Amino acid sequence: MHNGHPPDPPVGTTDPALASPGQTLALIKAQRRVIARNLYVDPALILGAWGLAWLVGGGAGYLAAHGWLATGVPIWLAGIISGVLFAAATLVSFGEPARRGRGVAGPSRRVQAVYGWSWPLAFAGVLALNLALDQQGLPAHLAPLLWTGTSLLAVGLLYLAGGMLWDSRLQYGLGLWVLVTGAAGVAAGYPGNFAVLSLAGGGGFLVAAAVARARHWQSERAA
Amino acid sequence: MEQVLPGLDSVIHAQARLRVMVALSVLPPGDRVTFPRLQDLVGMTPGNLSTHLHKLEDASYIAITKAYQGRTPVTYVTLTRAGRQAFEDYTAALRELLAAANHEAHEEKL
Repeated sequence: MHNGHPPDPPVGTTDPALASPGQTLALIKAQRRVIARNLYVDPALILGAWGLAWLVGGGAGYLAAHGWLATGVPIWLAGIISGVLFAAATLVSFGEPARRGRGVAGPSRRVQAVYGWSWPLAFAGVLALNLALDQQGLPAHLAPLLWTGTSLLAVGLLYLAGGMLWDSRLQYGLGLWVLVTGAAGVAAGYPGNFAVLSLAGGGGFLVAAAVARARHWQSERAA
Repeated sequence: MEQVLPGLDSVIHAQARLRVMVALSVLPPGDRVTFPRLQDLVGMTPGNLSTHLHKLEDASYIAITKAYQGRTPVTYVTLTRAGRQAFEDYTAALRELLAAANHEAHEEKL
């Protein structure tokens, strides 16, 4: 070759890995598995991070509001715990696809990017709506219900959208579950809404994470 | 026990190019990958990868495009429609050969 590489060996003769059709197919299978693993965006990681954030964040909110641990969990600490966990989950949600899709461009990445941007856009909408209601004299006791209710509505709808985009029944089902959770939280009233957020919301995400992980193991074993 | 495989696409039937074809075929159709990431995925040196990419490009199995990210040039590699088809034909041919070999072995036993 012009840059000093040796010419290729004749077809199927000197490379032992390609000596027979069986060996060649095995090599293709092994290589496909390595590449797929390298590009795989792990939904269990993202769902698990959110499940944990909701479970602990919502739980801390509930305990603080309920005054059970008035000495242990002041409201500001519950706020910090939730804030840190939600920031971490956000980081995982954007970091995992970005890391796996590094150096890849094209239609699938555009879909991923547009979907990714839908989250901050939806929450900007939630924020604007709720702040405007607050400005117009929303009673203080309704504020926590409004915030959890509208946030869960946005999350639920975005998971429905994700289910449509990637033909994922798991995501679509989780979206439905989150919509139900949001409505149930508002119906439960304050501070029960935090308990619903924590147990049903966080629990739902953790179950979805476990299902995603189990399915992935199954498909890896079958591949 | 050396075996020459007849009817196989010699452009694909070399380990380095086969690895590249597998990597590109795992990407969703229409997606492209930068040279460094592809290098990372297939574990080849830049010179080696470049040589094999040119052979695949000569056969029109892949397309190499240059784009700019700011002022930095980025080389993208993508599987063409012909390349995806050629890779499918290649694996189909392998499976046929394997099935024929198994069939023969079975006949011999009887």
